[in-house]
Amino acid sequence: MEGFLTTVEMTFLGLAGGFALGILSALGDVYGTKLMKVVIAGYVEFFRGSPLIVQLLFFYFSIPALTGLNWDAFTAGAVTLMLNSGAYQKGYFKGAIEAVFKDQLMAAKSLGMTFRQTLRYVVLPQALRIVIPPWTNEYISLGLSTSALIVLGIRELTNISKSIAAQTFRPLEVYLFASAIYFIWITVSMKIFDWIYEKVKIPGLEVNI
Amino acid sequence: MGEVVLACEGLKKRYGGLWVLKGIDFEIEKGQTKVIIGPSGSGKSTFLRLMGLLEPPTEGKIYFEGKDVYGSGLDLNMIRAKIGFVFQEPSLFRHLTALGNVKLGPKVVLKMKDDEAERKALEALKTVRLEEWSHHYPAQLSGGQQQRVGIARALAMDPDIILFDEPTASLDIELTWEVIDVMKDLARRGVTMLVVTHELGFAKEVADEILFMDDGRIIESGPPEELLKNPKTPRAREFLRRLIGGV
Repeated sequence: MEGFLTTVEMTFLGLAGGFALGILSALGDVYGTKLMKVVIAGYVEFFRGSPLIVQLLFFYFSIPALTGLNWDAFTAGAVTLMLNSGAYQKGYFKGAIEAVFKDQLMAAKSLGMTFRQTLRYVVLPQALRIVIPPWTNEYISLGLSTSALIVLGIRELTNISKSIAAQTFRPLEVYLFASAIYFIWITVSMKIFDWIYEKVKIPGLEVNI
Repeated sequence: MGEVVLACEGLKKRYGGLWVLKGIDFEIEKGQTKVIIGPSGSGKSTFLRLMGLLEPPTEGKIYFEGKDVYGSGLDLNMIRAKIGFVFQEPSLFRHLTALGNVKLGPKVVLKMKDDEAERKALEALKTVRLEEWSHHYPAQLSGGQQQRVGIARALAMDPDIILFDEPTASLDIELTWEVIDVMKDLARRGVTMLVVTHELGFAKEVADEILFMDDGRIIESGPPEELLKNPKTPRAREFLRRLIGGV
């Protein structure tokens, strides 16, 4: 049970950090300068182009070696998940921001709205609604990926299950039980996201994916 | 002579190597309605976007109520707020109801209080005869209704002039009439309007002047009865013959 809470905690940390990073880098990529675009592209390619386990090991072991900064496995794991999730979420946010058509930006401009006002009142309210379904996928994917934290020895659901299985010599029951917990958790979460999506849905703004 | 609301001098616009506008002088006075006609690609829409301050000119000056808008450190957004713009595609904010669309400008740009902005918006919706549709989202409205919401959105800002860029070009014929009727109303009420359209009936009834554009220039202008009946330039004659002939 304690392992499950760690799994959920890590997922939420990763998602929340990734949300902020994702939205900022998507905005930077769509509206930013050339330099910003290059930096963001590099960041995204790095995290989407290598396995999460390698990223976890890299950050946990190389940051202390490079900077002398000592951090525990939990922090290193959380930061890596945030960076990783941010890279994926950036793609979803970018798609959603670009789905708010240029003609609406022009209309906002014709009313005399500033860039900031346009973002706040026109772009984001639409983009955040459009992004819910793909964002749900990221939640599932990241939630399940937290099992990779086992390589840093973090006591999450998979790691705890492994210990119990080793102690009790009953791998079948233990891992089946662990799978069931993952399954129920993800299914319930998906239902919640679906409910939110329906709740904030606006006619004509449905996602066609 | 009335007060000149919007004017330009030697206006030119280049996209890449292509000069789309090749030098335009123009002015419109308070209360006037002027209609621009001309073949596609003649620069009508570009001219309108420049006058709406949605794009900067490559050369030339634009004057709003006598002030050089790009030359004197003015807040462009504050001037844009005074120039209404109705687009060819309705371009409504899809996450807001008709009322929400019309209310946003007064609230966010003019900083009106919520109830004040709402009153303003309802009044504008009434002018375009859509008060019963105020709580519908754009996707629930017909093309003509959406376009009228677009007109109301411009009206609610109390603009000094409204620019229309072919507002009926993407509408069916019946929907065209409902939009044109609203625009005629506005013209009769004394709203200053600069309209790109090929609805010659509208031009004949309410325009003070028709401008014929071709190849990035205004090559002919005059009162409707004169320009429509006896165009002087061969280009205008040819264009009108085809437009009326329906070819």
